[in-house]
Amino acid sequence: MMDRTVIVDKIINALAEYLKRDPATIQENYHLRDDLGLDSMAVIELLYKIEETFNLQIPDEDLIGLTTVGAVAGYVEKRLEPSRPVASLSSSAKSGSKPKKKKG
Amino acid sequence: MRARVVVTGLGVVSSIGIGVSEFWKAALAGRSGISVITGFDPFTMDGYRSKVAGQVRDFSPERYLNSPHADRVDRYAQFALVAAKEAMADSGINMGKENAHRVGVIVGAGMGGMVMGEREITQLYQQQKPHRVHPNFIPVITLNSASGIVAMAHGAKGPNVTISTACSSSAHALGQALHCIREGRADVIIVVGADASITPLVFAGFCSLRALSTRYNDQPEKASRPFDRGRDGFVMGEGAGALILESAAHAKKRKARIYAEVSGYAATSEAYHMVIPREDGEEVATTMRLALADGDATPSQVDYINAHATSTAIGDAVEAKAVRQLFRSRADKIAISATKSLLGHTLGAAGALGGIASVLAIHTGQIHPTVNFDDPDPACALLGISGAVQERRVKTAMLNAFGFGSNNAAVVLKQYAA
Repeated sequence: MMDRTVIVDKIINALAEYLKRDPATIQENYHLRDDLGLDSMAVIELLYKIEETFNLQIPDEDLIGLTTVGAVAGYVEKRLEPSRPVASLSSSAKSGSKPKKKKG
Repeated sequence: MRARVVVTGLGVVSSIGIGVSEFWKAALAGRSGISVITGFDPFTMDGYRSKVAGQVRDFSPERYLNSPHADRVDRYAQFALVAAKEAMADSGINMGKENAHRVGVIVGAGMGGMVMGEREITQLYQQQKPHRVHPNFIPVITLNSASGIVAMAHGAKGPNVTISTACSSSAHALGQALHCIREGRADVIIVVGADASITPLVFAGFCSLRALSTRYNDQPEKASRPFDRGRDGFVMGEGAGALILESAAHAKKRKARIYAEVSGYAATSEAYHMVIPREDGEEVATTMRLALADGDATPSQVDYINAHATSTAIGDAVEAKAVRQLFRSRADKIAISATKSLLGHTLGAAGALGGIASVLAIHTGQIHPTVNFDDPDPACALLGISGAVQERRVKTAMLNAFGFGSNNAAVVLKQYAA
């Protein structure tokens, strides 16, 4: 099980790389659009990176609410915790994206 | 009365220099941009028949662009952005003073975003993970990504069009821009030709087509030799050229420097073969004739031809035959040069880069050499082709460009006289 601070760090690092800015300038409570200037296409690119980082597949119906760094971290945390599946996991499990514990 | 159209800005990304002054200095010095291909890592070049190309070395978009979009588009569109930026600055156009809807962008591109295209296709087929296809794949490979991003970079809200006619794409872009301004649909058009597809798959495709030079892999700078008896196919190149076209009235109103006038254009199809030109040269001659008529000029006025001349056996001979057919006794009095002898064939960028060489010939009175024209092929014998710089006042120039798909374009440029 990955620690939440590790998850937050990885997300902030992914954002910093994408936005070409210092990770220290990005806070967990930052809104992706209002504070970081990500448009809807940029959010999709960020989630593509997050999927790779955490070896996840994020179904479309889970995108709602992923508006802050913290919300994305919370979502990833839940997805990496097999005993506490999120609401829509039943549908994503059908499409073969059941969360698994991964070596990294 | 139809509007006259002039060129007021130029921009270049090429294998012999980034920036117009570097490009022109190298062109007049006859410097070849052709080198051994190094960029296919982890591929080795062993399986490729041709191993040389006109590659733009050490291109880092960040050096030229601070646009947040620059790394979200493919290499060819980055080239387009850099060339357009230089051309706009050169023209002195201040977008803050323009009616944005009267400023358009027309881009010619033959292949488009093949760098990312090939990478994503390869990964998908190897890994079979459709969910790992990059979200930017579609916007990047869509062929109008360059015309879109150039408009965004300059706030140009007028006509925005991409023309893809293989090797004649940006000659058509120039011609369509001429007609667009002439008809009063825009005051300014940013014309760009761009391609960057020296990629493992595209290069292999041209090798398989047996279109490329293979005899000079050990002497890359000798490989592109238009009109020479030893030519054995074209050399692939990459780059971008940008020209700011605007109505003469608009240019005069803002006291712009005028390089040249774009006065005539013709587009035809040979309706003959996907990759082979008609050997009698009649369609090429007709295209040049129509372009002159469109520009109210006659064959007797032409001083310079920037030839399509790709260094293929048949193509160069057909073009030379067409020149003889149309210009008759004048054919040997016209200065001719092949920009591809320096850059290789930059595909969609070729018309724009040849156009820039033509504009500079008019503007400076110097015609760049056709390098490697060491042993003139009797089949292309025209006395105006030279391995040296030609100093000559050019009042009327003809730009030729022919493309796969049986299409021909010719553009007439003139010294501007008010």
